[in-house]
Amino acid sequence: MKLVRTENLTKIYGSGDAAVTALDNVSMEVDSGEFVAIMGPSGCGKSTLLHLIGGLDRPTDGKVEIEGVSLSDMKDDELARLRRTRIGLVFQFYNLIPVLNAVENAGLPIALDGKKYAEAKKQAAEWLSRFGLGDRLMSRPDQLSGGQQQRVAVARALAAEPALVLADEPTGNLDTRSADGIASLLRQVSKDFGRAVVMVTHDPRIAAYADRIVFLKDGRISDQTVLETRE
Amino acid sequence: MSVRYALIGLLAQQPRNGYELRSAFEALVGGGENWDVKPAQVYTTLDRLEKAGFVKKQRAGKGERSGKGTYAITEAGRASLREWFGQGVDSKHVQDEFFVKLASSMASGEADPASVIQTQRVHLLRQLHDATAIRDSFDPHAEMAQILLLDKAMMHLEADLRWLDITEQRLDEVKKQPQRKPEFRPRGRPRKRSIV
Repeated sequence: MKLVRTENLTKIYGSGDAAVTALDNVSMEVDSGEFVAIMGPSGCGKSTLLHLIGGLDRPTDGKVEIEGVSLSDMKDDELARLRRTRIGLVFQFYNLIPVLNAVENAGLPIALDGKKYAEAKKQAAEWLSRFGLGDRLMSRPDQLSGGQQQRVAVARALAAEPALVLADEPTGNLDTRSADGIASLLRQVSKDFGRAVVMVTHDPRIAAYADRIVFLKDGRISDQTVLETRE
Repeated sequence: MSVRYALIGLLAQQPRNGYELRSAFEALVGGGENWDVKPAQVYTTLDRLEKAGFVKKQRAGKGERSGKGTYAITEAGRASLREWFGQGVDSKHVQDEFFVKLASSMASGEADPASVIQTQRVHLLRQLHDATAIRDSFDPHAEMAQILLLDKAMMHLEADLRWLDITEQRLDEVKKQPQRKPEFRPRGRPRKRSIV
């Protein structure tokens, strides 16, 4: 079973003359342990695709399946639950809460999901340590570099042990070296921890870390290339 | 040109013979596979440098054959080295092989330039993927020369990929332009017209 499967995914914003087709019949699949980059010029629909896969938005037509379950059949609260437990999200701006330290930030989503805060922080601390932030657990975002803040955001995405990590321009706000560090971390998340990682980027340097690149153009898949054959 | 100065620089570090110089040069560039310099080139260069007064052959020890002596840097050599370090280096991107391919696709009409661009994009992304993996396999504490060279290669690949993006966006304008007619060149030495 494929971890992610989209079938004829279509998203149209507006209606009538003002209708804009952001995504047009996109069918793709992602395996566990696979790192896929979605590339394309701005306005090609890559963020829309990511949002639909993540259940942040609903398609006009077609469907998304995560672990064999179709998101279209889910009620809003079921979808919210799936998002919290099976999907981790990473954004361009790390979206950390300024008054919370690294471990509190990374543990927050699972604490909100009903886990005891102490347990949530313990789980978060483990991911932070794996990502080289073991000595910065108590640091607040303003005491961390951009690259470190994004590492906290990746730890937060993984704290709930999701099967899928979605990253939307995760390096867009970072200098080259920190960006390399985050791309390499996402690769590690797929290779060492077996998660599926789908990343939207317009940066070829970052896309080159992936196993496979899907090219989008005008809302359609225009090409695909495998950079690394997986065993 | 840079081999010549690299050799002067290595002699500034310490006097060496030709054999030692060649090994030191290879170590400097991160291995002979990065920049292979033949022994003959080392000896001819040393010969020229000596004539120019930049290096000086120290008296060969007993039993050493001529040409195998140890060389040391001179004051003039140090001055030329300072001058070299003070100058920038041109980046060369004029006679680009892919550019010729792309231009030919437009001129001949035998291939869609957009697909020629996409083929090249995939080719470069694969190269970039491999370069990234190789760079990350080197030890930053012991193999810095390799890492720096791969960083450079990766950044050039990145620039080439960005150039493909821009070129793709410009294809429509470019297609509307009339093809440039070959120029009639009078015989004899052409007037110099440098691009950069």
